[in-house]
Order: sequence, then C-alpha cells, then structure tokens
Amino acid sequence: MSITDQIQKIRAEFSSDLKSLSSENGALDQIRIKYLGRKGLVASLFVQMGSVGADERPKMGQVLNELKSDITAEIDNLSSVDSDSSKSVTSNIDYTLPGDPIPGGSIHPLTQVMEEIKSIFTRMGFSIAYGPEIDTDFYNFEALNIPQHHPARDMQDTFYITDNVLLRTHTSDTQIHFMENHDPPVRIIAPGRVYRNEDVSVRSYCLFHQIEGLYVDSKVTFSELKGTLDYFARELFGQNVKTRFRPSYFPFTEPSAEMDVSCIFCKAKGCGICKKTGWLEILGCGMVDPEVYKSVNYDPKKWTGFAFGMGIERMAMLKYGVQDIRLFYGGDVRFLRQF
Amino acid sequence: MKVSLNWLKDYLDVSGTDEEISDTLTALGLEASFENTGKSFTGIVLGKVIECGPHKNADKLSVCEVDIGEGEIQSIVCGAPNVKSGIQVPVAKVGATLNNGEFKIKQAKLRGVVSHGMICSERELAISDEHEGIMVLDTKAKLGTPIEEILTFKEDTLFEIDLTPNRGDCLSHLGVARELGIGSNVDVKQRAVDLNESTIPTSNEIKVTIADKDGCPRYAARVVKGVKVGPSPKWLVDRLASIGQSSINNIVDAANYVLMDFGHPMHTFDLDSISGNEIIVRYAKNGEKFTTLDDEQRDLKDFHLLICDGERPIALAGIMGGANSEIADGTTNILIESAYFSPTVVRKGAKVLDLSTEASRRFERDTDMDGIISAINQLAALIVDVAGGEICNGVVDEYPAEKKQRTFDFSLEKCEALLGTPISEKQIETIFKSLQIVYENKNGSFQCTIPTFRNDLEREVDLYEEVARVIGYDNIPSSAQFTGSYNSFVEDEQKLDSLLRVQLQSLGFHEHYSNSLQHEKDTLHFAGGEAVQLKNPLSQDMAFIRNSIIPGILMAASHNEKRQEKGFKLFEIGAIHNQSKKSTTGSKEKFHLGLLWYGVSQSHWRNYEDRDLFRIKGEISQMLQSVGLVNISFKMGNETGFQISLKIYSGKTQIGSVGIPDNKVLKQYDLNVCPTVCDLLLHNLRELWQNRKAGYSPPPAFPSMSRDIALQVFQELPAEDLLSTIRKEGGKTLKNIALFDVYQSDDVGDNNKSLAFSLKFQSETATLTDTEVDADVEKILNSLKKAHGATQR
Repeated sequence: MSITDQIQKIRAEFSSDLKSLSSENGALDQIRIKYLGRKGLVASLFVQMGSVGADERPKMGQVLNELKSDITAEIDNLSSVDSDSSKSVTSNIDYTLPGDPIPGGSIHPLTQVMEEIKSIFTRMGFSIAYGPEIDTDFYNFEALNIPQHHPARDMQDTFYITDNVLLRTHTSDTQIHFMENHDPPVRIIAPGRVYRNEDVSVRSYCLFHQIEGLYVDSKVTFSELKGTLDYFARELFGQNVKTRFRPSYFPFTEPSAEMDVSCIFCKAKGCGICKKTGWLEILGCGMVDPEVYKSVNYDPKKWTGFAFGMGIERMAMLKYGVQDIRLFYGGDVRFLRQF
Repeated sequence: MKVSLNWLKDYLDVSGTDEEISDTLTALGLEASFENTGKSFTGIVLGKVIECGPHKNADKLSVCEVDIGEGEIQSIVCGAPNVKSGIQVPVAKVGATLNNGEFKIKQAKLRGVVSHGMICSERELAISDEHEGIMVLDTKAKLGTPIEEILTFKEDTLFEIDLTPNRGDCLSHLGVARELGIGSNVDVKQRAVDLNESTIPTSNEIKVTIADKDGCPRYAARVVKGVKVGPSPKWLVDRLASIGQSSINNIVDAANYVLMDFGHPMHTFDLDSISGNEIIVRYAKNGEKFTTLDDEQRDLKDFHLLICDGERPIALAGIMGGANSEIADGTTNILIESAYFSPTVVRKGAKVLDLSTEASRRFERDTDMDGIISAINQLAALIVDVAGGEICNGVVDEYPAEKKQRTFDFSLEKCEALLGTPISEKQIETIFKSLQIVYENKNGSFQCTIPTFRNDLEREVDLYEEVARVIGYDNIPSSAQFTGSYNSFVEDEQKLDSLLRVQLQSLGFHEHYSNSLQHEKDTLHFAGGEAVQLKNPLSQDMAFIRNSIIPGILMAASHNEKRQEKGFKLFEIGAIHNQSKKSTTGSKEKFHLGLLWYGVSQSHWRNYEDRDLFRIKGEISQMLQSVGLVNISFKMGNETGFQISLKIYSGKTQIGSVGIPDNKVLKQYDLNVCPTVCDLLLHNLRELWQNRKAGYSPPPAFPSMSRDIALQVFQELPAEDLLSTIRKEGGKTLKNIALFDVYQSDDVGDNNKSLAFSLKFQSETATLTDTEVDADVEKILNSLKKAHGATQR
C-alpha cells in the first residue's frame, strides 16, 4: 500500500473512531495515543519516509505534516470541550492513591562517621593519605618501635600471610609509608581497614576501621596535641563535651596518652555505657617517638610531632547506640535502611 | 592486676575515698576500677528456727517460726533443703539490704503464705559462692545480734588495674603503692625483713653454674631446711583470698604472697630431689623433652632456657617449674631460686609453648635485677614464719654480667619545648625525688640515675613523659592555637568514592561492608587472580583475603533473602587482593566498587520501575555520568561466574562488567532469586576521574533537526554494533541517538528485526539545512548497509 493510500485509510479510520467515541474517562486519550503516540499510526508513516524517492520526499513530508496537524487539532478541540463540559471527569481520579514509593538508599554508618571525622580534620588543614591492608612486619611493627619479641605485640593479635607479611593491625603503618615518601612538614589523617586475630563476638570482630593522624613540624608540642584533639572532640560530640588525657603506652609515641570524653549519654554522671566512670575512652595519642623518626630518616633533633589513632566502629557504636559490632558487616538491609 | 586496698596500706598511709585513689592511679597511667569487697548487707541478725513445717501450697518450701531476739518471733518462708527446727541462722529482717543496697527485703507473699524476712545462704552474704542451703551458725551469741558482730567482715576494696606492657614494675602491691605514693605525695614504707640464719653455709648445700649468661645474667639461691609443708595460717589465706587467689599449702602460698607483694617471680624446689646439689642454667637442645609441673610434656627448642640439676632439667626458666622437683607434702628442705631471666628469652619460650604464667608475664615485662636479693630474703623469712625450718647462711649469688644503673642527661629546656608548658627547676626536682631518680642539677641540665626497677626509662624522652605524668596531663594547658604549614598538603586519592556514594544512595542503594576474610571457595568463582591465604586464620571460613568484591555482596543478598526481603540494592567499596610476585608483600591491592540489584521493587498500584538489565544499564550510566565520567558503553562479555555479562567502557577503557551470576554461584550462596551484579574497577575510575576535563559547551545558538530511521537487520546483530556505526558516521553534528523502537514479527521476516532510531543533528556554527542533514543520514544508512546489511524499512 502506498503512503498516500495509507493516509486516506488513516483519515477514514480516525473519523469513524471519533464518531464512536465513548464518554468513558480516558477514551480520548486512547485515540490520541493510537494516532499521535510515539508508536502511533502517524509516526509509523514518518518512519516509512525513508523508502520514498528523494525527489518525492519533500512533498510527501508536507502531506504527512498536514495529516498530523489535522488530527492534532480535532483531538485538542474535543478535549477542551471535554474538560469544559465536565469538571467531574478530573475529580473522578482518586488523588489519595499512594504516590510512587521511591526507596532511598543509605550510606553505611561507618562511612558516615569516617566522613565526619575526615571533614573535621581537613578543616584543620590535614590531608588524607592511605596505606595498604597487606603490609610487612617492618611497617606495621619494627619501624614503629615494636621489635620482635616485645610484649607490646600482645596488644595486637596479628594475622600473618608469611613470617614477614601480615594484615596490618593498625593504620599506624601509614605513618611510616607516608614519611618515607614525603619530607616534613607532614599533616595527614589516614583512614582504613585493619585486622586483628580475635574471636568474633558482640564487642569484637576480626577486622575494623581506624583513622590515624600524624602531624610533624619543627615545633609541635604536647599542648598542641591536646588542643587539637580537644577541638576535635567538641566538634564531633558537641561543644560542651569535656576531655581528659591520661598517660598510656604506645611504643611509637612518647609521651603517650589516652583521651576520654565526658560521657555523652549521662552527661558524665555515670551510667552503664561509661561503666559508671563518667568518661568514654575515645582515642590513643602521643608525641611521635624519636625511634620512629630514625626509621624514616627524619632528624629527631629537628622535628617533633604528634600522632593519634581511633576506632571508627567504637565511635559509630557510641553515636548510634549499636550494641552488636557484627551488625556493621552483616549487610542486613533492615539495619542499613536506618542510616 | 588485682590490688587490695588493705594490702596497699602495708606500704603507705592512704587517704581519700576509693574513687579518689582510683582516679589518682588512672591519672598516672594505671587505669583502675574498683569494687568494695567488705560487708555488703545491712539488717541481718542471728535467729533460731523454733518450728519448721511444710508449706501448704509448695512441696519444696517450708514455713518457719524464727526467734530473732527479744521475744520477737517471725514467720518466714524458706526454700533451703537443710532448714530444720533448732538451728541458728542469719535472718534478713524486713527492711534489710543485700548486695550493697541493691536488693531490699520486703514483706512478701510466697504461694499464699506471708514471709516476714529471709533466711540467708553464704552467697547472699557474699561470704562464699555456697548457695546449696542456708548458712548454719554455731555460736553462743544472743539471738538478735547483728551478724557482723559474729562473723568478721573485713572492709576492703579491690582495685582492678589494666596495666600497659611497659609497666612490669607495677605488677605487685609494692609497685602500685609506689605509684600511689607519687600521686598522693606520701612516702612508701620499706618492708623490714627479719632473717634468722643458721650456721650452715648455703654454699655447702648448693652450687650454681650459669652456662648461658645472656639468658640469665644473675641467679641467686637460698636454702631453708626442716620445713613442714601444711596449711597456711589464716592471715595468709585471707590475704590471698582478698585478691581472689586460693590457698594451696604454706610454701606455695608464701611464694605467691611475695610475688603479689614484691613482684619478683621466684621458684621453690624440693632440695632433696635435686641431684648433685647443683644448679646449671643452660639452653635446651632442639627437641629436648621436659615435663612441667602441670604434668604436660613439652617439646623444647634451642632458645628455651632450662634450670638443671646434676642430671636433668628441673624447671623451664622463668616460665614454669618441673614435676620432678615440685614441693610435695613430705618436702622438708627447700631451695629458693631468685633470678633475672632475659625478657626476650622468656617471651619467645612461653609464646612458642602457648604457656603464659604469672612468672613469665613478669619476666617478659622485665624485672628488677637489683631486687633479687631483697625478694629472696623476704621469701625465706616468710617460709620460716609459716612453715618452720632454718635458713642457711648467706645467698649463693651468681652474677657474671653485672648490670650498671642507667644514667643520662635531662634538659629542662627541651622538655618544656616538647610539652609546650613552662616548668620550674624546683618542680623537676620534686618530681625526680618522687620517682626515686637520683639527679645532679647542672644549670637546668640534670644528670639522672634511674632506679633499677624502672626498666622502661631508657632515654631522655622517657623522662619527659614521667614529668608530664607526675604534673598531670590535665594540668598541661591545651593550646587553643593550631597552626601549620600548608606545604604539607597532598591530594586525596579516594575523593571520587564519596561522590559515588552520594549518587548511589540517591539511586536507592544501601552501602554494605563485608568481611574481607573468606572461605577458599568464595575466591574461585570470579575473575580475580590467585587469592592470598592467611597462615593463622581464625577458621577455614576466613582463611583467604577476598579477590573479588562480588562474593561479599552475594552473601549479604542471601542473608536478606532469608529474611523475607523481596527487593533491595546494595553496594560496597573496598580493597581486594591478588597474589603478585612483583611486590614485596607478594600481593597487589586494588579498589573495587560492587553493585547488586535483587528482586523487584515494592509492588505498587501502578508499575513504575522495572529492575531488568536495561534499567540497570541506565542506572550505571547515570551514576557514572553524574560524577563526570562520560562516554559509557556496554559490550557483550564472557566473564567467569556469569551466565550473561556485559563489559562496561568509559571511552576505550574497560571499567568493569555487569551481569547475572551463573547457577553454580547462585547455588553456593543459596539464592533462589537471581540478582544482577556489577563489578567496577574503582582504581580505573579514580584515574579517569582525576584526568577528566572540567568544562562546558555553550548552549547551542542554532536549532536542531531530527530524523527518524527504521532499520531491518539480521536478528542476532547486536544493537550496539549499529549504534557504534551511527556514532562513527554521524560526525560532529550528530548530537544524540535514541533507539525508540525494537520490533519483531512476520512482516520483517523470521530471522530479522526492526530497530527505529531518532537522530538529532545540530551545529554550533550554523543552522543546518535539510539537504545537509539528509546527506548525513544517507551516509549513515549507506555505512549501516555496508557494515551490517541493514536495510531501511
């Protein structure tokens, strides 16, 4: 059938369709789709244009466009009549039917906490660096002043791959990697995944996440360490939070300290979460030990600095009141949806 | 480490509440918590059961009439099997409290009978764990006497101290007392030792030879003859009980007491079981066997240090004694060993045998070389005190490698510079005195001699910490200034990850963190290279490090399927590892982004979202385009682990793949509904993103023109092939291609299909004419025909 024949056939069909147009809701819309829809009869004719000889094409185009505008005009006319005559047509639609559920996703609570901590420190001028999860004994222990057969190794049960290669037990390895490749001044935080060979339980998992911090410059003081971390704690936990520093021991810092914040749950009155002490243990920190500078060829007489490290899971558990650490790694959408 | 307050009082006058003591210790770095272990009740008196009859409603309960003094008789319900008339018992009257006030006795109805109080067991009074029956008291005291006047309840507080590994010197009451003395400015008293030696020289009884002096630089011995092994006196039993240790016999108890008191681990041998009256300290031979006093036979290595007699080993130095020389009931003569063993030697030896003892814990943390004699004298004196006998004259003291006291300089100026606070010379002198550091002040430079029990103070910087510790960390001001050089800036290589996360969240994905330690079988499905294996895994389920991001999200999908979740989307960003000979760690780390689509969207009164591969391709493109990664295309792939897979490209770089896992995979993860998964090489994405060009094109000034073309092609021809030809031939003015119809039916032929494209042309420099556009379309059609045999319909 030639295109011209087809045009005539469509015009005939259209007028008969209009005559038998029912008063039902949407009947006119169905006609609109049939003739003017993307896959409608008119469109199908346009598709066939390609088979028409080049000399006839402009004329044929004109004819087709006429057909299209005629049909459009008739339908528009009818539909305006339609809406004028009966406002009840539109009010028949039940607009209380539920809207489309667009399920939202979620960013993992551990990521959220990590991002928040990152943003606090980047505002203080810290850059972000990363270290490898599989590392050597040198970066994870030796260079951090934790020699073989030192009781400090008991603080971190280690997964080994060979005698010398291991899954890092802390992000402190990044301190060494970074200082090896950059001259001071250094001001970084290093987030990442770390591993401990510990039985999986409600309170501990075989892996967790840490953020390490390192600041090395010519005149860094313990007082600055306190100030920086004090600011960090107030920004993360609220400005009325108090901090407490007490002596601790890490082989790669001297002096070493543990920072507590006043319990955010009981306002430091003493509750189950802070074990009635009024304080929550938050992070370990200290002035970088001169031995560490020696292993990265920094001059310990010239440079001083501080380092700190904290567990993301612990922060997230405190922040959201999560009781079972395993929930973070289970992928249960009933848990994840809430973040 | 458990420390009793009463025991500490032997060493210093303690003032302050338990909480203040605990805070003082914590502020010095000895993290302490405490509990009161004295009388934990109020209102309990002596009573006598006058009548005891059955309970009308309960077989196991009795109803007792109890005389609680001054003619007062109360009816009390009791469930203990040993209750009977005539016995005297502790009675908690109505209003009494138990468990430090946490439990209050009220008048109560038990199965219909009113009980006016409670008859108590030993456990309820916190005397022991005994709870089989009620406590029966044999006493002449008057009925109604408060129970604390009959039984002695010594007020005490037990401190639990979480010690850091550098403070081996605090693993004793003396050590903790020294710290408390520093913190509260009180002097520690010396414990006086009254040695009553006999005329027999110790050197007649024992000869000591140290063959390996690096493992044992000092070995001292004493002999006590004529002891009688038996039960310990009450004070000793109570002392040990106060820190939760049970009594064994007087000799063992004495050694334990001195250990907990003074901190130096010593060992006692049955002298008569020592052959040849000699002690030889030497390393074991590889494979040498030795039975420790826990009756375990141990396989030794050449780094284990042994204490031997003339014939055989009798102790594993610093770790555990031998069964062959242990103190027995009939032992009369005792050899006491007080030695210094190398921390590394003990640690290595204990570690390889997985045998950690009170002794090894202390030797590992280093002991006081100079405390050896004082310790052995105390133990000898105590043994005589509790088990009789006579101490032989003198100490046999082998000390081949004398250890010098540590001395070094301390600069006040440098200390102030590091801590960031001014400190006076006078303050430093007070601090050093409290730490028992002997010093000579030369204009702010102090020449310091460190006490031998502080093995952790090796360098000047260690003294900075001591100074800060004694001043109190909280008394060093926090600097409110934070300055630093911006020369320290480096770029964050994972910046893209955060952008992707936000995008994925808005597409409805939940971020998942999976365990990167997996079972071997998890590492075999997907292309990922050889996985890295752990030498000491927790279990076979966690013996390998993941080499693909996919298994972790499949496990999560399976977990959720079993919890009636019908539709969800997950993503994970994480490192995967492959073996790699080239790297020093034998492995290569790469970051991947894994995506998973599971099931259908929530059923709704109208269909609004399909979750098929076409929708998924759209979501992947959208996510990547939204962060500026453009020219995304897909090609059929043939990835391992998939039944259908597509490779994903950004320009010419492959950036990942997407597809439907094969049945083997579905079976392993026990999935009934087949999810779609996508694995993106985040490393590549990060690089593309770093190198992307920021910029824009001005909005076109000239109108666009559209042309629709319908093509008939061989059914199996991939649409992507047609698209790439159109893209290539369309030239610069072809701005957009939309495939708006795919049609298959008889009128195009059985082996054919029809595809309809809408092409949009536009030029930045001029209005295109029909002729120009038609010519372009013509060119495209010709190439399509040539390359794919496509004909126009």
